Amino acid sequence: MLISSFNRILVEILTEIGSMILFVKEVGLTALRFPSSRRLILEQIWKVTTQSVSTTALAGFFVGAIMSVQFAMQMNEFGAIGFLGGLATSGTVREIGPLLIAFLLSGKIGAFTSAELGTMRVTEQIDAIRCLGANPIQEIIVPRFIAIVVASFFLLGAGLIMSIFGGALLGYLFAGVNYEQYTRHIPTIVTLPSILSGTFKSFIFALLLGTICTYKGYTATGGAKGVGRAVVSTAVMTMIGIVIADWLTSTLSDLVLKFFVEAYGHGL
Amino acid sequence: MIVFKNVVKKFGDRTILKGISFSLNPGEILFILGTSGTGKSVLLKNIVGLLSPDEGEIFVDDQEVSMLSESAFSSVRKKCGMVFQHPALFDSLTIFENVAFGLRKHYRLPEDEIRAKVLRALSMVNLSGIEDKLPAQISYGMQKRVSLARTIAIEPKILLFDEPTTGLDPVTTNAVNTLIKDLSRKLGATSIVVSHDMACALAIAHRIIVLDKGQIIAQGTPSEMLNSTVPLVEDFLTEVKNANLVV
Repeated sequence: MLISSFNRILVEILTEIGSMILFVKEVGLTALRFPSSRRLILEQIWKVTTQSVSTTALAGFFVGAIMSVQFAMQMNEFGAIGFLGGLATSGTVREIGPLLIAFLLSGKIGAFTSAELGTMRVTEQIDAIRCLGANPIQEIIVPRFIAIVVASFFLLGAGLIMSIFGGALLGYLFAGVNYEQYTRHIPTIVTLPSILSGTFKSFIFALLLGTICTYKGYTATGGAKGVGRAVVSTAVMTMIGIVIADWLTSTLSDLVLKFFVEAYGHGL
Repeated sequence: MIVFKNVVKKFGDRTILKGISFSLNPGEILFILGTSGTGKSVLLKNIVGLLSPDEGEIFVDDQEVSMLSESAFSSVRKKCGMVFQHPALFDSLTIFENVAFGLRKHYRLPEDEIRAKVLRALSMVNLSGIEDKLPAQISYGMQKRVSLARTIAIEPKILLFDEPTTGLDPVTTNAVNTLIKDLSRKLGATSIVVSHDMACALAIAHRIIVLDKGQIIAQGTPSEMLNSTVPLVEDFLTEVKNANLVV
């Protein structure tokens, strides 16, 4: 009984992953063969960015502040408070920033996109697009997918800049580190590999989010309940997917870094 | 014009259409009646390639369409305009852009010609002057008529209506039914109307098919239907008689 339930769940999960891979393949091929209108893509990028920039900036500010407070407590003990800004920013760029942006985008844009596409599916708008001679993947999926990936870079940038301000402010208020002291070691500690690692993570998270939310919305069935189910499963799948992808990309980044250190005696 | 030959459609273990066969002549208005879940909408969606049959053949204008690819369906969809159960208007586009959508995708026309066709289609459904509104700014009944305008704007030879009057008040229902009849006549289009409304079918249809559990259980002209002894048809007719008594 238990084994058969486990088998059924495993088959369902594998089927879902397989369908998602086929969906991504179709989206990719459509994007290459039948490019979507530039206007539609820019509209979506603008929409995603403006919908999330204030939340991302606010969250970025407080993440910087939290990192600053946490590091300040430890570093004061070792007399290394001068490195506060560099270490807090490095941690944000490499790990917390991309993760935070991905979670925020998942909650705001992932849920919104999934609900929007799901509603279009159950109210037959997607069927209408096909009947009226257009390709729904080209018209509505590709622009949203590209927008999520592109906007995540803008939002990452906005979140990171705000995190430096948040960290600097709390560093000053909590540990008496002024702005000049706080930012002095950022260029030396926040290295190119840190930035590349953070950007790569953000890219992978955005691909994951774009895939899951467009797929779940596009394949929603069963009226309002079906749309609700699509939104919930988008939220759950993206959260789990992002955490797993974070582990994988962190491991991969470490391996790449070790390879360069061993091969050339230094990192990238 | 449209021919179904032993069409079977399954969803998993459930067989929705169980060997449907019928044909439709040019200019004819065919009503397909049946209770909910009998496969009426599935039947329509097979014609325009939104679904594909598991067995059997479907001919549109002598072209076998059941195995066509998505891109090959484009020419079939130019001929077949479908009005959905929901208005299915695009929320972010104005009424004008909604009606122009099919024209822009199917044909490469100059903008003034698109404008003329959109305004003509809207006037045919008695909705002139609302081009700049968004779908959310007009009533549900008006949205249904805009959806009809969007379909007829591409001037299809075949009109497919999926429960066009569901969710409408009696006055709008009558208006939409009259529109279906007038449009079919004005455009010279062949029409298939999926509906629960036997009274409307008796008034408008040239022929009626009654579906039950995925099979055709009765078909004929309205006058033949009035004399039918098939229990489900009798139930539909009783509904019509009761409604007339109430009126």
